[in-house]
Amino acid sequence: MAPRSKAAYPVGWKNGRVASWLVTVDHKRIGILYIGTSIFFFALAGLLAIIMRAQLAAPNGHVVGPNTYNELLTMHGTTMVFLVVVPIMAGFGNFLVPLMIGARDMAFPRLNALSYWLFALGGIVLWLSWFSKGGAAHAGWWSYPTLSEAMPWASPGHGQDYWILAIHILTLSSILGAINFIVTIHNMRTPGMTWMRMPLFVWAMETYAILLLLAMPAISAAVTLLLLDRQGFTHFFIPGDVPGDGGSLVLYQHMFWFFGHPEVYIMVLPAFGMISEIIPVFSRKPIFGYKAVAISTLAIAFFSMLVWAHHMFTAGLGIGLDGFFMISSMVIAVPTGIKIFNWLATTWRGNIQFDSPMLFSIGFIALFTFGGLTGIFLAAFPVDWQLNDSYYIVAHFHYVAFGGIVFALFAGLYYWWPKMFGRMLDERLAKWNFWLMFIGFNMTFLPMHMLGLLGMVRRIYTYPDHGALWTTYNGISSAGSVLTAISVAVFVWNIFRTHLLRKGARVGNDPWLADTLEWYATSPPPPHNFDSVPAITSARPLADLRRTLEERNAL
Amino acid sequence: MRRKLSIFVLAVLAALATAGVATATNGGLTPVQPASPNAHHTVTAYWVIVGFTAFIFFLVEGLLIAFIWKYRSRGRARTVEGPQVHGQTRLEIIWTVIPVIILAVIAAVVFALLPNIADAPASSSSTPITINVEGHQFYWQFEYPNGARSINTLYVPTGRVVDLEVTAPDVIHSWWIPALGGKIQAIPGRVNHTWFMAERDGTYPGQCAELCGVYHAAMTASVVASQAKYDAYVGSEAALTLGEQEWTGVCATCHGNLGKGGYGPDISSNSVLVQPAALTQILRHGVYGTAGAMPPVGDTWTKAQINALVVYMKRHIYTGAPVGGTP
Repeated sequence: MAPRSKAAYPVGWKNGRVASWLVTVDHKRIGILYIGTSIFFFALAGLLAIIMRAQLAAPNGHVVGPNTYNELLTMHGTTMVFLVVVPIMAGFGNFLVPLMIGARDMAFPRLNALSYWLFALGGIVLWLSWFSKGGAAHAGWWSYPTLSEAMPWASPGHGQDYWILAIHILTLSSILGAINFIVTIHNMRTPGMTWMRMPLFVWAMETYAILLLLAMPAISAAVTLLLLDRQGFTHFFIPGDVPGDGGSLVLYQHMFWFFGHPEVYIMVLPAFGMISEIIPVFSRKPIFGYKAVAISTLAIAFFSMLVWAHHMFTAGLGIGLDGFFMISSMVIAVPTGIKIFNWLATTWRGNIQFDSPMLFSIGFIALFTFGGLTGIFLAAFPVDWQLNDSYYIVAHFHYVAFGGIVFALFAGLYYWWPKMFGRMLDERLAKWNFWLMFIGFNMTFLPMHMLGLLGMVRRIYTYPDHGALWTTYNGISSAGSVLTAISVAVFVWNIFRTHLLRKGARVGNDPWLADTLEWYATSPPPPHNFDSVPAITSARPLADLRRTLEERNAL
Repeated sequence: MRRKLSIFVLAVLAALATAGVATATNGGLTPVQPASPNAHHTVTAYWVIVGFTAFIFFLVEGLLIAFIWKYRSRGRARTVEGPQVHGQTRLEIIWTVIPVIILAVIAAVVFALLPNIADAPASSSSTPITINVEGHQFYWQFEYPNGARSINTLYVPTGRVVDLEVTAPDVIHSWWIPALGGKIQAIPGRVNHTWFMAERDGTYPGQCAELCGVYHAAMTASVVASQAKYDAYVGSEAALTLGEQEWTGVCATCHGNLGKGGYGPDISSNSVLVQPAALTQILRHGVYGTAGAMPPVGDTWTKAQINALVVYMKRHIYTGAPVGGTP
């Protein structure tokens, strides 16, 4: 890599330490901006969760009032979905996709920068809404009308309007990003990289992008109609005085979940992609059933568009619709199961290295499997009638979203950190991070299953003394949330120690002896990524390269 | 070090599992003790699914633990590769087809149980009674066949099918009495239907399950099952106690038990409490002040209902206008 020239061409202020990040159109820097911003919002959303768990730690809690609690749960959910998981996946995708396919950058670098800055703007709008008239939105992250309408007894303040504005901005950001990913993946793969030689994470990002394009317009439309109801005197959702007259509240539920369920897979498919990259590398084997894993990604995406109304089983849709959506929801378990069995088979007879990315990946399989299985209870709609909107649901989706997605994100962060920054995060702290998070997570969310079965409904700001079981489970859950917070603090300290104290060891191109092209570039990669790209003859170009070198040395 | 840590974690998980099993008998791992046929069959479906999912759970987690134990590196260098196996079509077909069969069985069981859960049993001896249920911010109102009403407490005869016609005038709520079956949303502009049949005398608590605003947590309900209490309530008690029910179930949530204020303002000395016309205006249309809003909590109330509240407040809440003028 040539030393960066200072006077080759006039760049002026754009070369500054801060300014160069603000004006960058380099996919790697944009990716890191995405990831950094998402981690910042992750900390904020986590803080809200800790306050909620403090409030619920014991019966009749007095940490926050009811209105504040509703704001907390709304902002926690909205932030985690729109400002943490979806954008951090875009961040990983931005950093990794061009490197993995041997490209120099994304197809539209400026559009890419626009996507990031729209995301940052959306986050700022959403979080400044705390200071708006009436406080932040407090109708939950689904914002079902009429609670989210402008009636004085519903959501009269401006928090809901800022929520809508933020969703619009973030939707735009996601759609632009999705177009960029699709064009990049379709057109910029290095010679030899056919579809069936593409890294599985790239398959996941392709599917992520397609789903974003299909799902995002639905929520854009829903919140536009909501905005018109609130500010424009329409009645898309507000029913009339006579039954059957006026708007339909069930319509909003359909529109929201038509987006909302694919959104779940928008968040989880890239996580699957990361796991599919990491497990083979740390098992020292190729992925078991590459085609099955790739195609099951597409199958999940296809079926994810057909299951939305399983969020609405209690809305009284009728047995016909409920039955259809039960079957479609169960169908989606099949390709998901295929992935889990393929990951397991990948570890079979491997040489398993327990580095932190692998620990988090194993944690992912263990917890995601549990979250997937509790989902079967919820797909069976008569059982869902019992469990829906109770803490069982909260437990279920946190096993998927935290036990699944967040564990995969930490696996990905520890795995690609040396590639992004050229230094290794401390492995001992990483293991502390894993064990604290694994124990803290299970303490927080396992008892919630029991609470839901006992009849505790979600989104209540407090509960009276219902006896020892309720108090014990809630207490364990709140204590677990503190452990989880400590585990994240360990991660932040690890970053601080590695970079600001410069304790992290420098690494070469390929510290993990990995399979995919990003490890062919230097760590961190130069602005142009590759001086040359090796010819691709399989899905594991670096493993091929190592073998070639070995054979050459043997001669 | 690593081994110690994993033993510790296993111990913690084992302790958690034991605690879970210990509590299973009184409501830790199973839904609330059912007291209605639909709830019974829901619990049956629940246990069938537990059976299948527990099998898959132990299979997957067992294989995971076995593999990471058996194939751990044991100090082997990273360069040592495992067998370069790329797949095995027959295995992959097996783990595609078996889940399909399991899920098909679960779906079949659910559909087989469904008629007992979704539909009330065809009555042999007695006709069902129909109750109109209205979810309001933040209380439940029940209307009986003879027009009597109650707040938050629903009286029903034991052993008789109760059909519920569920709706709401303001926001979406969700009706749920865990022992008496699943939830149904109370949606403005729409009437949803559910049913239960209390098998034993008793009081069955429940709570609104859909976020409905600031006091969602206070929106509780209970079903009292007893032929005698039902007869007494719809016969004469309704007229005598409705005012008190309205005060404690509707007004006191925000204004405090004695009207001295809480989330809402102190109203104990507000003379509107004893002026039926002014009170009707507020109950029917709400109050939209700069300091906050009061929902139109009584928008579906009858005149008699409002008068009952006035009578109750006059006797128990209203403390007279403060000296020196009106508030």
